[in-house]
Amino acid sequence: MMTLTQTIVMALIQIIAILAFIFMLVPMLTFAERKVIGYVQVRLGATRIAGGRTGLTGAVNKFMWWMGHFPVISFFRGLPTFMADGIKLVTKEDIMPAKADKFVFWLAPIICMVPAFAVFAAVAFYPGVLGTLPAWVPIVGGLPVNGFMTDINVGLLYILGLASVGVYGIVLGAWASNSKYPLLGGLRSAAQVVSYEVPLTLSLLAPVILTGSLNFRQMSVDLATKMPPLAILPLFIGFFAYITCGFAETNRVPFDLAEAESELVSGFHTEYTGMKFGWFFLSEYTNMIVVSALATAFFLGGHYLLPFGLQSFVPASWGWIAQPHLIFFIGKIGFLLFVFLWVRATLPRYRYDQLMSVGWKYFIPLTLVNLFIAGAVRFMA
Amino acid sequence: MFKNEEMEINLGPQHPSTHGVLRVKLRLDGETVKHCYPVIGYLHRGVEKICEDKTFFQGQVWTDRMDYVAAVSNNLGWAEAVEKLLGISVPRRAKYVRTLLTELNRISSHLLWLGTHAMDIGAMTVFLYAFREREEILDIFEAFCGARLTTTAFRIGGLRDDIPPGFEAKVRAFLDRFLPCIDEYEELLTENRIWKKRTIGVAPISAEDCIAMGVTGPVLRAAGVPYDIRKAAPYAAYDEMQFDIPTRMEADTFARYQVRLEEMKQSHRIAVQCMDGLPEGTVMAKLPKILKSEVNEVYHAIEAPKGELGYYLVGEKGGVNPYRFHVRGPSFVNLQALPMMTEGKLLADVIAAIGTLDVVLGEVDR
Repeated sequence: MMTLTQTIVMALIQIIAILAFIFMLVPMLTFAERKVIGYVQVRLGATRIAGGRTGLTGAVNKFMWWMGHFPVISFFRGLPTFMADGIKLVTKEDIMPAKADKFVFWLAPIICMVPAFAVFAAVAFYPGVLGTLPAWVPIVGGLPVNGFMTDINVGLLYILGLASVGVYGIVLGAWASNSKYPLLGGLRSAAQVVSYEVPLTLSLLAPVILTGSLNFRQMSVDLATKMPPLAILPLFIGFFAYITCGFAETNRVPFDLAEAESELVSGFHTEYTGMKFGWFFLSEYTNMIVVSALATAFFLGGHYLLPFGLQSFVPASWGWIAQPHLIFFIGKIGFLLFVFLWVRATLPRYRYDQLMSVGWKYFIPLTLVNLFIAGAVRFMA
Repeated sequence: MFKNEEMEINLGPQHPSTHGVLRVKLRLDGETVKHCYPVIGYLHRGVEKICEDKTFFQGQVWTDRMDYVAAVSNNLGWAEAVEKLLGISVPRRAKYVRTLLTELNRISSHLLWLGTHAMDIGAMTVFLYAFREREEILDIFEAFCGARLTTTAFRIGGLRDDIPPGFEAKVRAFLDRFLPCIDEYEELLTENRIWKKRTIGVAPISAEDCIAMGVTGPVLRAAGVPYDIRKAAPYAAYDEMQFDIPTRMEADTFARYQVRLEEMKQSHRIAVQCMDGLPEGTVMAKLPKILKSEVNEVYHAIEAPKGELGYYLVGEKGGVNPYRFHVRGPSFVNLQALPMMTEGKLLADVIAAIGTLDVVLGEVDR
């Protein structure tokens, strides 16, 4: 049993680990977006930083030009842009419109960002102990490190509640900008996010029915390994419903009319610059990671290899493949993020009223039916 | 208790998707457009007045800059209008090369339209695929006249030079490669559920309204009226070419999309016929050194990619400059139909409507 200081220090270590993970993954995701969308569009994406050939950036550029000779690693030309983008966001001038509501203008990006980070407290990266800290570590030496930060029994409820708080940031940011275009974008986005919360939650209720608990870790393990054969159907339908609602929640194409670049310039974050914009920007990518993490954990088999509950038919004697691994979880998240980028490069965007009608008239009935199917499967098993 | 206010908003002049410096004053009730009022003139350069001081030879340069996307079409209209005014006839080989280049320009203009229209609606990738083909066409123009965009490709009386060596191979390579590319664009868009939802029934304008407003080009043909000046009053080598005029009956954005794609295929057909049937001969008529006009006025219309492009020239006795030069720009006339197409519709449809009208502000403002 851990003492209070040990608990606090262990929690701090896990927080730092999660933050490090996010702060590594999100800039890499912005870099990957530019490269993947570029390659889809028959062009190279970002291949250099700062443009010059002199000095430190020049040396980096010349090295990246040289990397272009080799087939696979040439994709990673331009990798330093993830740092360059971060530096750019932090060093840009911070402009606030004259009649903007100062406090709310400052607060809105924070309201967007904090829930996006806080959700990770309930996400289980590995359903067990990742390792033990070596004994020489000062206060917590020798203690096991869990693959999850908390193991609360209402983990899913916590996640969904926090995700819903994010919409306040959008609406307040739009209103505080005191400008017509952001206002339009913010109103559209608020209505969109609130509408798609309903099918999102309903699609997540199907796994809850199938497993009978809201505990993130337990759900992700059970949904992979303890599913009856018929569970493929509600998990499959639920996956597509969840992912599509996830696109709508994170304001990604085809549901990105809140920031429709060709219509509203930049939607609700038009008037934001510098790091305030950076927080909006990063919170969008963090939300993408959250949506992918939930989809992976619940529908795609999480820490195990096979999706949709198929892992239940893999006997334990198959050894390595039948065990959970962190790499499966991270890999599947990566694949889903790639799908996000792929869809952005390919599809046009929905018009506002069409988006609302798709959400209310198509997805809510679909997820309700899925709920019945999940209930029937659970009843029969 | 709650006041229902209408919001007056300005779409552009600086806007990512008003193709050029177009300003549209919109009065919105929520997302619905109550009143739409285009404001133009941000790109007015006084082309018509300037050309009153330039000779017939020099005036062609300004026509490139009007509809800068379809410069070769504009050049063709100018050259033919001046030839009509001065009574010059052009050798047949020159007519064929002019037709070939104009049809390639029609393809490149429609490719740009496709890319920007798709990008406005959100499909970013079509823009780059369309520009990949457009780059090849621009290389062909560069091989012929040295410029990609503002070509000044023709001369009064024919062409400056015959086609250079290697030109035919370049053109044939492009023409062989092009038809499957159209299939690639269609694969991304035509059966795409979101594309269909964004374009079917969007920004409609009936055939009667089109004729009443003077709208021509693919907009008119998508409303069901099979009017194409290349067939109605043939010029250049079009009377010797076999091609169809694509029409649709629905008169909405999707119909115009289909009409323009089909027109690209027909232009391809004409270009192949031009290459196959290129006659021998000179490319320049015998002309006096200084071109002088008589008291004469002429209106010559051609089918530009955007619609009926008309040149009105008035000559004076012994004048080396036109007394008056006026352009009937298709984008200018088509743009007047914008309020008709968008009032009562949603904001996103205004963007789609501007894209589907294919306005180029250089031509609207001159």
